[in-house]
Amino acid sequence: MTDVLRASATPNSRPGSLWRRHREWLTPVLLLAPGLILFLLIIVIPTLQSFRLSLYEWDGIGPKTWVGLGNYTELFADPQFLTSLKNNVIWLVLFLIAPVGGLVLALLVNQKIKGIRLAKSLFFMPLVLAPVTVGVVYSWFYDPTFGMMALIFNVFGATAPAILSDPDLVTFGIVAAALWPQVAFCMVLFLAGLNNLDEDVLGAGRVDGAKGFPMFWHVVLPQLRAASFIALTVTVIGALRSFDLIAIMTQGGPYGSSSVLAYQMYEQAIFSYRMGYAAAIATVLFGVMAVFIVFYLSRVMRAEARRER
Amino acid sequence: MKNRFGVPFGAASRRTVLKSLAAGVGVAALGGGWTGAAFAEDRTLTINTNISGEGQRKLMAQFIEEFTKETGIKVQQNAMDHEGYKTAIRNFLVANPPDVCLWFSGDRMRAFVNRGLFDDMSDLWAKEGWADKVGALTTTVTVDGKQYGVPTGASFWGIWARKDYLDKYAGGKAPATWDELVAYGDKMVADGISPFAIGTKDLWPSAAWFDYLNLRINGYDFHMQLMAGEASYEDPKLDAVFDKWQELIDKKFFIPNHTSYDWQGAVPFLLQGKAGMYLMGQFLTRNIPAADLDKYTYLQFPVIDAAVPTAEEFPVDSMHIPSGAKNKDLARQFITFFYQPQRLALWVEPEGNIPTRSDVPVLKKDWLLEKGQEILKSAKSASQYYDRDTDPDMAQIGMNGFQQFMADPNSRKAVQARLEQARKRIYKKS
Repeated sequence: MTDVLRASATPNSRPGSLWRRHREWLTPVLLLAPGLILFLLIIVIPTLQSFRLSLYEWDGIGPKTWVGLGNYTELFADPQFLTSLKNNVIWLVLFLIAPVGGLVLALLVNQKIKGIRLAKSLFFMPLVLAPVTVGVVYSWFYDPTFGMMALIFNVFGATAPAILSDPDLVTFGIVAAALWPQVAFCMVLFLAGLNNLDEDVLGAGRVDGAKGFPMFWHVVLPQLRAASFIALTVTVIGALRSFDLIAIMTQGGPYGSSSVLAYQMYEQAIFSYRMGYAAAIATVLFGVMAVFIVFYLSRVMRAEARRER
Repeated sequence: MKNRFGVPFGAASRRTVLKSLAAGVGVAALGGGWTGAAFAEDRTLTINTNISGEGQRKLMAQFIEEFTKETGIKVQQNAMDHEGYKTAIRNFLVANPPDVCLWFSGDRMRAFVNRGLFDDMSDLWAKEGWADKVGALTTTVTVDGKQYGVPTGASFWGIWARKDYLDKYAGGKAPATWDELVAYGDKMVADGISPFAIGTKDLWPSAAWFDYLNLRINGYDFHMQLMAGEASYEDPKLDAVFDKWQELIDKKFFIPNHTSYDWQGAVPFLLQGKAGMYLMGQFLTRNIPAADLDKYTYLQFPVIDAAVPTAEEFPVDSMHIPSGAKNKDLARQFITFFYQPQRLALWVEPEGNIPTRSDVPVLKKDWLLEKGQEILKSAKSASQYYDRDTDPDMAQIGMNGFQQFMADPNSRKAVQARLEQARKRIYKKS
């Protein structure tokens, strides 16, 4: 580091000075340094610390006890862990509705129809709401006694299911709430993509007689590849880190049946003061996410390599 | 009385505040009898607080101002969110201890005392002669005969009941025994009313039922053994507890879908007459419109076994000095200042808590407060509530289990087994 400082302090006056000889690689290093240092301090080091912590038993203030892989053995035998993992999978699968729904909505509101601007802004609205608000609104909606759903069911003389009290339905109820803003988000991504369609390509398609679904499938959709890819990745990561709505709508209940890994981790760390166990859950979640992140990065890098060629 | 419960309701709250401000000026002159006020202090006293009610937040600010005026000591208050504080305290007690902090007595306090994080305040207790004033509640801040804090206010628990249903279904007579309670509830169920409102989304409200049933059936000593991890959750003594509980569940004594509601979400059931009673702390009354409060009454949890002395739930809040405090002398000065009977009287008022000193003046006549004090005097022993009496990890698993049992009584054996497994892990029993 002192070398670097000295190097940047001395202007490149003398030929063959340190700076001149090394600037080829020093410039990018200096420019990248702030970001890399922050990344190291805020992301990499805490992640490694968390891995290490997962091998200890620690209540947050007392001494740490080495338990090796004990937390993991306990975790994999914990029925709550399996429930959380299962719910994570449900989230992941159902959340894939968001890119598809977003695309359909984007195509719809992209039409030139009178009043479509209003529709567009209405569809966009949930994105403006804080997730907490979405959770509270949906909890009220689902309220089996005073909620809107109960009122609607009553009109038809039926009893509304208590979605947030039913261990089999609860996760679906929360995912539905989470999809509301997520679909809107994907819609915005696709709208941006639709605005960048190449008129020449569309025109060529029209000349070749394409219209309707074939036009969409063979001409429009391939041009939306970048948008689809981002929408898909953001959705997958959003599904895996789902936490806020669960905390607000059910607190993981009834009896843990709507918990996911992220919430279980929070519960273990904050309520039960089991830092090591929570760190083990975090590590598993990291592993699951890493699969998708590696996939994403490899796609991005391949796409960039293609562009360079 | 309108004022005292009007705190959350607009206009009334302003009146309450003005009144307490006026009263505060009056007591300011009483002070703590410290002479250090003459020279200016450069040191700053830091206080970490977790006050959730607006009334007490204003009082704390007012007391601090009076304290600074009287002693010349600057005070810095770090007011934190009530829930976040529970996590934060574990960090700040070790890393950056304040001079004074608010906390909960009982096991929650003991956890820090055992780790040497709270300062022994027995000297101050002896000097001020508080033991005589505080009486039985001294035990809530005592570990091995030493006091580690001052109890600032107690909540009291019981059954809050609609008077109209009590008149209609029980002839106006408060059910004193289990059978009377069940007979009373049966009549409500027959009319399509749920006898008890409860919201178990928060998990903790279900623990009140476990605590009270266990206290009434097996008594205080066994309950505390269980809380300390010394007794098994599969102990046959608990069968009676779960039997009685299940009797109520099977008879549909609790509102349907209670896992969908937090404790406040279940209050409308009581207010709208869909439910007739609510087992809850006195803070429930703050969720009843002040004008309607006269329509409700307090019932002591009924006796189940006449041979078992009655114990009640009295969660006690408290004030402590961390071991790492930089200004322990100033902290003692502030606590002495705060713990004057007149200030304590103001302090417990907004939340409807019971004062922890017997010499606290009565600011105004109030049946609720009188009731609370009466119960406190008659109770043979006091527990602090499940999640304060037992290990936090155990409490989390336990309350989750109680919620499951209430929603699905068939899970009883599985729940007991899970709790027992957790107890063995947490208390290192095999």
